[in-house]
Parts: sequence; C-alpha cells; structure tokens
Amino acid sequence: MSERELLWRLPEPAEQACLVATTSLGDADGSFAAAAALAATAGASDRPAVLVEIADGRKPRPGAVASGVARALEEELNSRLSSGIAAARGGLCQVVLEPGEKTPGLVAELVSVIPADAFCVTHCDPTRFRELVEDPRLGIRGVLLRVDLDSECPLAALTAAELSSRRIRTRILKRPLGWLDSRRALSGVEPGRRSGAGFRRLARALIDQESGQALPLALGIVAVLVTAAIAMVAFGGALTGKARAQRSADLSALSGARSMRDDLPRLLAPPTIDGVPNPMHMSKSVYLMRARIAATRSATANGSAPWRVRIEFPDRYSYAPLKARSVIRASVDLGTRHPISVHATAEAGMPMPTMSLGGAGTGGMPAMASGGGYSGPLAYRGGKPMRPDVAAAFDRMAAAAAASGIVISVTSAFRSDAEQAALFAQHPDPTWVAPPGQSLHRCGTELDLGPSSAYSWLASNASRFGFLKRYSWEAWHFGFATGPAPCSAAGNPVPSAGGGGGARGAGGGDGRSGSSAAVPSFVPAQFRPAILDAAMKWNVPAAVLAAQLRAESGFNPGAVSSSGAQGIAQFMPGTAATYGLGNPFDPVAAIGAQAHLMSDLLKQFGSVELALAAYNAGPAAVERCGCVPSIPETVAYVARIMATLGGAGALLAPVFEVRLID
Amino acid sequence: MAEQRGQASVELIAAIPVVLIVALVVLQLLAAGYTLTLADGAAEAGAIAAASGRSPERAARAAMPGWADSRVSVRRTFGRLTVSVRPPSPFGPIGRALEVSSSVSLGGLAK
Repeated sequence: MSERELLWRLPEPAEQACLVATTSLGDADGSFAAAAALAATAGASDRPAVLVEIADGRKPRPGAVASGVARALEEELNSRLSSGIAAARGGLCQVVLEPGEKTPGLVAELVSVIPADAFCVTHCDPTRFRELVEDPRLGIRGVLLRVDLDSECPLAALTAAELSSRRIRTRILKRPLGWLDSRRALSGVEPGRRSGAGFRRLARALIDQESGQALPLALGIVAVLVTAAIAMVAFGGALTGKARAQRSADLSALSGARSMRDDLPRLLAPPTIDGVPNPMHMSKSVYLMRARIAATRSATANGSAPWRVRIEFPDRYSYAPLKARSVIRASVDLGTRHPISVHATAEAGMPMPTMSLGGAGTGGMPAMASGGGYSGPLAYRGGKPMRPDVAAAFDRMAAAAAASGIVISVTSAFRSDAEQAALFAQHPDPTWVAPPGQSLHRCGTELDLGPSSAYSWLASNASRFGFLKRYSWEAWHFGFATGPAPCSAAGNPVPSAGGGGGARGAGGGDGRSGSSAAVPSFVPAQFRPAILDAAMKWNVPAAVLAAQLRAESGFNPGAVSSSGAQGIAQFMPGTAATYGLGNPFDPVAAIGAQAHLMSDLLKQFGSVELALAAYNAGPAAVERCGCVPSIPETVAYVARIMATLGGAGALLAPVFEVRLID
Repeated sequence: MAEQRGQASVELIAAIPVVLIVALVVLQLLAAGYTLTLADGAAEAGAIAAASGRSPERAARAAMPGWADSRVSVRRTFGRLTVSVRPPSPFGPIGRALEVSSSVSLGGLAK
C-alpha cells in the first residue's frame, strides 16, 4: 500500500476475525475461565465467538444448551477443518488444538474460516504464547494476561512492555473469576452482574479498532470547541447584560438631568410676585420628582424594570440641584443556576462654569472686550476675539468657502491697544503695522484671514458677506463694513439679536452665534435687546442683569412690591431718581438704570455677590460688614442669582449641555 | 500490523473537515456576539448625542468601526433608535440571517 493510499484509507470493517490471546503468567490460575468469559461476553451479544484452547489430550465437550450462532459455527468448523474439533457451548464455540509446530498455522486457518465479525479468543500455556504473538499470519489484536500482581509484577510489566512495543493492546486480570462466574463462563454463559460489566469493557478495550481512537479525538476537539463557545457565549451574555444595564443607567441619568435642565428656569423663578403665587414657579420637590419620573421612564424604556432602578440626586440639598444619578441593579440570567447580578451607576449633570467679575471667559479668554476701540461682548472664531455680528458674518462666509472647497482661518481679529503696541514694537513700520490706537483691529471688526491659497476666493467673494478688503496691499485684511462703523458708539451695542441690520443681509443668518451667548435662554425675547444694550453700555455681564431681573420681578414690567419697589428692576423711587430713571415702569429705561447701578456697585465692591447684596439691601449695609448682610431676603436673593449664574451656565454656554459625569 | 500504524492520524485527517466546520460555526457566533456589543455601543452613542442635541443617527454611525460602514443600518422610529448590523461572515446569507440589532429609547433625550 502506498503512502498516499495509506493516508486516505478510511476505517473499514476488519478483513478477518478479531483475535485475542489469553495466557497466565507465573502461578496465576483461572486464565482459561477468563478466556471463556471473554469469549462468552462477545457471544452473549450474538456475535460469533470462538474459544480456542491449545492443550494436550483434551476434547471439546458440547454443552447441553447452545445458541444458534454457536451451533452454526460448530458445524462450519467441523466440516471445514476436521470433524469433532469444535463444540458449541452456550453462546460460544469451543475448539481444542493439539500443541505443536503447526499450531499457529492451524489457528490462522481457523481464523480465516470463521466470519469476519467473529471474536476469537485463544488460550495457551505461557510457553506457547510467544509463538502465537510473534506469528505475523495471526495479527493478534489484543492480549489478556492473568497475573497475580503481588508476586509477578516485574514479569507482568516486562511482558506488557514487550506487547506494547508490538502495538498489541494488553490488559491484565489481577484476580481470578469467582467460582460461580467461572462455571458460567466454562458453559459459555456471560459472567453475571459486576464481573459481566467488567468483561464487556475488557472485550471492548481489546477488540475496538483504532478508528475508535480518531473519533474520540475529533469528538474531543469538537467538544472542546463547543464548550469554549458556550463559555464565551455565557461570558459575552454577561458582558452584554452589564453593558446594557450601564447603557440604561447612562441614558436614565441623562434623562433626569435633561428634565432638570428644562425645569431649572421654573425652579429659579420667584415663588411669589408681590405676594401673589407665581404660576411659573416650580417647587424643588416637584422639580426633583419630575426628574425622577423622567429618569425612571427612560430606564424602563431601555429595558430595566422600574424596581431595579434607583434615582438619586447627589446635590439635592443645594439650592438648585443639577445632578441626577441612576443606579441600576440588573440580573443577567444565563440559564445557569445563579443569575449574575450586575450593578451600573451613571451620573449626569450640567457643567458648572466658574464665575468671575466682568464676564467669564472660556479658558481665560475675556467675554467682553476692553482696552481698545470696542468694549462690547466678544465672540471667538479660531480662538480670535471679534464683534459678534462680525463673527456671524464670518460664519456664513466660512460656510460658503467650505462649499467651494476652501477652508479659511482667522489669523488675527480684535487687538487691544496694548497688544497692538507690542506688535508695533516688534515691527515699527507704519505701512505694515499701525501704531497703537490707530489700527482698525482695535474695533473688533477687522479680520486677518488665511491661508494665502484662499486670498483670491476672498477677494472676489468677501463683499457678498459684508467684508471689505481694506488695503490693496494686504490681501489678508478684511473689514466688516456692513454693520455699524468700526469703533463707533453704535458699534458697541450692535450685537443684539440680528446684528445692527447689515449682518443679516447676505446669508439670511440669524446672527445668534455671538450675541445670544451673553443672554441666558430664560430671558423673554422682548427684553433681550434691552439687556444686551445695557450690559454693553455699562460693562456688566448680561447674565447677571438677566438673573437679577428674574429674581426681582420675573420680567414683569408692571411689578410693584409691598415695600414700594417698582417696575421690572424693582427700583425704589429714591434710587430711581438718583439714576435719572423717570418712569420705573419703562422696562428699557429701568434695565439701563439697573445696569448703571450695578456697574457702580461692581466697581465699589469688586465682587458680584457683594454688588448683588448692595443692590438688594443698599450699599450701606454691605459697606458696614464688607459681606453679604445676614438679612434672610438678601441672602436668598444673592443665592438665587448665583445659582442661576452658576447652574445655568448662562455666561458661557450658548447651548446648555447635559452630560455624563465620570 | 504495520498497516495499522498511523491509523489514528489518518483518521484524524478525515475528521478535519468536521473540526473546521465546528470552528467556523464557533467563530461565526463570536463575530455575531462582538457585533452585538458594537451595535449596543453605537446605539448608546446615538442616544447620548441626542441628549446634547446632536444627530443620533450620525453619532451612532460614527461609533461603529470603519469595516462595518456598509453593514450598519440606523433607523429612528417613534422615539427609538435602532442600530442593526450584519456580522462579518464568509457567506453573505449567513451574515444576513445573523443580523443583530440594538435599540434604545430616545424618550426625553431628543427634542
């Protein structure tokens, strides 16, 4: 058989009957009974079983009872070999052969005569055993040795080692069969109960083909793979369950925080206006309950049962809670006995901006311009400050440029006189750098744009967006010529919604990008321009004015308090007169006076809290202690406004963002 | 006797296709599971984006790795965002049959 044929030979039925040799080593007895039991075990399953004894002067004795298979074998052997050589006993056919030189040949002949599925057990003296095992014609499949291991252990080991080197399977029977089992075996009956099962295993171990080894190996690999897959599915299931619980917690916390964000204006609205309950106001308990409901509903919609969800508010004792925490305890059932319990926590809230006098800036960048020709709010593009209406026009131009595949960047925009002085000192040539106080950059309307590859596009398109190329020799310098003139008094209050008119032109943009950042979203639309104007004129953060107005009157221009304060800004008649406010019920004039007063108070006390306290309680009370006086109304007033400013992030965030807190 | 040598390894070779098929099935299931975790993550990314006012569909797509671009479908219906992904498979129909999807509620998160 060639190598290749050998490779592709599939397991197939054996070509000849399976031959097992049995003998005893040393003084062990009962080897013949063991051989008979082995053969009878095969015979009991209707497999043709032959027991060959190689012994002198014996004749096979027919048994009184024999199976049909055994009878057929007996007839076959007697007719084909020699008469009287075989006799059927129970489930097996016993054959006796005279020992001699021809014995292996006789056995080989016998094996060739019996059916291929037969099971043949030979039994002989240890002296004859070797010639049987070594005879290549026989191809002995397995050997059963009857050994008393106590005395003959070394001999058994030697024999087993030798048989193993010949690739013959070897099994050792340490004890003889019991008396009853021996009787049964010798009459061709399978041993009973326990030893019967043992012999069945023994027979299987001795006669199974090697194919039986490849199959278990393949099955083993498959089993390992399947087990690994099941383990991974379980692991993955646990991971997915955990991830889903976490997701549910995240979204639930976000929902709670969003509810808080949406309700915050109502929480911060004054509870009463002139002793009359304010329908806008929402109590803290309602506020928290609504957040709890929103969070629970979101968790439920994302697959967490309501009773597995716990909603907490870490800052619920603060004036305005802004954080929601969702804890979800989920149970992941993987079909195992114990479901895995997973725990997911998420917290969401709103970023807390830091407050500083004169407007807050992102990363140290001022929100209001100073030290130049322009002193209004600043919008940032590419990190460079500019007038908000200029920024809005720049946005439209940048979008149009991007549509043509051009990215424009801002190299420089608003520069204070101090910055201009530094530039001029480096480069004192008036053609290229204007002396401090003369550059249009101090107006917040001028942009130095880049890169140079965009110059030609800018030259032909900038005018569509209200920009003018100021100097023919500066291809990068564009001024915003459509709105109020640079550094004009009109320029400062410009960026009320829409920008002074011109900015609205080209792209139809709403001009919100810069200006609305300064006014919190809770301010009613009709008061936004007035607040912005006043804030810019008096250099007071618009958010402070807005928060005050809400705390004072809830934006009610006709409000009158029991103590006699009047109008949207709740001026006392005396104070109103000091600030030239003829009609405190005129909201625009009142807001202007409020900004003027706040500007003075901020200058006097240097802190927003103290200025607010002075606005509410009068400057004298604050001056006395240099602190917020311990008048309950004043303390509450300052706290409410500071909460609005800090919580709503009105100074900073044009879009008030809810996010997960790590 | 000599012919019997190496029989086990010969027969193991015959069993290799079975082992390979089982291994393929296991790998395919693994790919499906991994894809499910990706879809879960993408759905959450979408929901979180919705909470801050951005487009949930775009965020969900961006959260999937590049190879999955052509295998993802993102749908938004009745306040739910559903991300469906066909896991990678050497056989197209199997990938389609094993399509996994993950759905989150945008309730209260998207305006």
